[in-house]
Amino acid sequence: MKKSWIMIILCVLVLVPMVLLTLSIKENKAEQQTINAVPAIKDFESRSAEWGKHYPRQYDTYMQTRKSNEISDVLKQDPALVVMWAGYPFSKDYNKPRGHYYALEDNINTLRTGAPVDAKSGPLPTACWTCKSPDVPRLIKRDGEMEFFTGKWAKYGDEVVNPIGCGDCHDNKTMKLTLTREYLKRGLDAEGRLKAADATHQDMRSLVCAQCHAEYYFKKTEWEDKGEKKTAMVVTFPWKNGLSAENMETYYDGINFSDWTHQLSKTPMLKAQHPDYETYVTGVHSRNNLACADCHMPYVREGGVKYSSHKVGSPLDNIANTCLNCHKGTEKEFRETVERKLARKNELAQLATDVLAKAHLEAAKAWELGATEEEMKAALQDIRHGQWRWDFAVAGHGAFFHAPEETLRVLGGAINKGQDARLKLRVVLAKYNAADYAAPDFSTKEKAQAIIGLPYAKLVEEKKTFLDTLKQEWYKQGEAKGVYDPATRKDMVLKTSYN
Amino acid sequence: MKYLVILFVAAVIGVFANLVHESKMLSYLSSDPKVCINCHTMITHYATWEHSSHRNKATCVDCHLPRDSFVNKMLAKARDGYHHSVAMTFRTYGYNLRVSPDAAKRIQDNCISCHRENVSQMLANSALYEKVADPAVQMGRRCWECHRGLPHGIMRNLAATQNNFGFKER
Repeated sequence: MKKSWIMIILCVLVLVPMVLLTLSIKENKAEQQTINAVPAIKDFESRSAEWGKHYPRQYDTYMQTRKSNEISDVLKQDPALVVMWAGYPFSKDYNKPRGHYYALEDNINTLRTGAPVDAKSGPLPTACWTCKSPDVPRLIKRDGEMEFFTGKWAKYGDEVVNPIGCGDCHDNKTMKLTLTREYLKRGLDAEGRLKAADATHQDMRSLVCAQCHAEYYFKKTEWEDKGEKKTAMVVTFPWKNGLSAENMETYYDGINFSDWTHQLSKTPMLKAQHPDYETYVTGVHSRNNLACADCHMPYVREGGVKYSSHKVGSPLDNIANTCLNCHKGTEKEFRETVERKLARKNELAQLATDVLAKAHLEAAKAWELGATEEEMKAALQDIRHGQWRWDFAVAGHGAFFHAPEETLRVLGGAINKGQDARLKLRVVLAKYNAADYAAPDFSTKEKAQAIIGLPYAKLVEEKKTFLDTLKQEWYKQGEAKGVYDPATRKDMVLKTSYN
Repeated sequence: MKYLVILFVAAVIGVFANLVHESKMLSYLSSDPKVCINCHTMITHYATWEHSSHRNKATCVDCHLPRDSFVNKMLAKARDGYHHSVAMTFRTYGYNLRVSPDAAKRIQDNCISCHRENVSQMLANSALYEKVADPAVQMGRRCWECHRGLPHGIMRNLAATQNNFGFKER
């Protein structure tokens, strides 16, 4: 009897602390689960503010890209471009890029995208949204890639309502970098140097940028939607033959592609977009295995926390934390070095635009005097190639720094092709008794737009109507659908080259 | 009465079995680094190690436990485990964990044991020519007094979330 009591007391003495310990462990485990919980962000969440709730520092720095807000009118700075792009939307309006925060705003505001009045009108295709928003992968998932690339730009005005953001580069479950645009994977696989499936994390730190910062064209693709024949304009990278200006030129010539026929010279033209990635890979920083993010998204410290700044912009804003991580020297020296590189590029680019604009005008004169297609063919091919090369060298962001030698080499080629064209045109002009023809003065944006007969005032007026009506409607509908967060645009001021 | 005793003994066994299960007690017999993050306290250390050059060569126990004999290893494990359990249960630890003098000695021995090729001459020279304050420590200072970032990084405060935010067990 007594023994039993002792046993029971012993048991209780052991039981109580064991139960308490078990409870304590359970409590710790519950806490651990909270700490380790991966933030729940829903699939294809396009509102960056939702991601920002879990990654406040990255989100805050991303929002700082709004500080890059100056409108710089490139057509004003070099009016020759108006002549070179006659008949193409770029002759209407072309500004230097602003921060990611404005990507969508500027796409909507530029005169290039015109003034649609409903979902089916307007000059440009849906593809013009492709690089502007994390709503794009969402729509491609929802409607299918072919449907996304079919129709007019205005079709998705009330769906594409958030500027470039988290969902463009990150997986919502793991936060790992991911490619949300299939055409980049297709481009990489076609080129073959780096297969999309083989990309390392360091590669991805450039490739997520290359989803947009690359040369592309809209490939006309026939497809069938439930028995109905449709034509899609699919964003495609011309990388099959390689990444250089000449490789792509061969590609485009091979498929007989042209972006437009030049209004003055009747040349089947190519428009280079922004071959940033292609240029960058030829440069010394790429050869040393740096990624875009190494300089454009440097690591920063905030108290004890280290993270990658998402204020993507010029590394010159933060030389101490970018260049000087690896290089010796002072900030001043670095700034001067970069300025010298830029000046060299500008010098050659200026020569090229002058030559090419004159070539277009001289070709127009030759046509006017009755030159035949046979006579013009060789000169026009030179114009096509020359302007493509010039555009390839200057259309990108910072090509002069990413790959100075390559950029100057391509510009050299552009000038040479342009002068070749002018030599040939001079022969044609001489034949029609106009050997001393001098191209008209295109020294200001207004003069140049007058030469090509651009109804600028009308375009601006139509655009302003669009901005006051349909654009407002789009955001209202986006909000009603719950895909748009109005807080992201609350301080937005309308800034354009024309208002 | 007899049945009551049996009931109590059974309860003790049951509760103990549950405790073994809940505390993952048996996992502590293994050498898997993941065992060290059974508690979230060590996640910073796990994450920094996992991103270090040591992760392919040395696991937690390779550095932190003695390697001279199995008995010593298990004794050290039991002693550390006990201290850790107490600290965890009664929350007696702060934001910055520091290694105990005993553990520091083990780690230093283990550094030398792997890197013997590189440090043997230093040890010999030191023994011949150097007068050190603490003769228990070879050369008077420990490897990580200079190699500060190895392998857990310089910043290892438990609230220093850059190393473990959104940490996912792999």
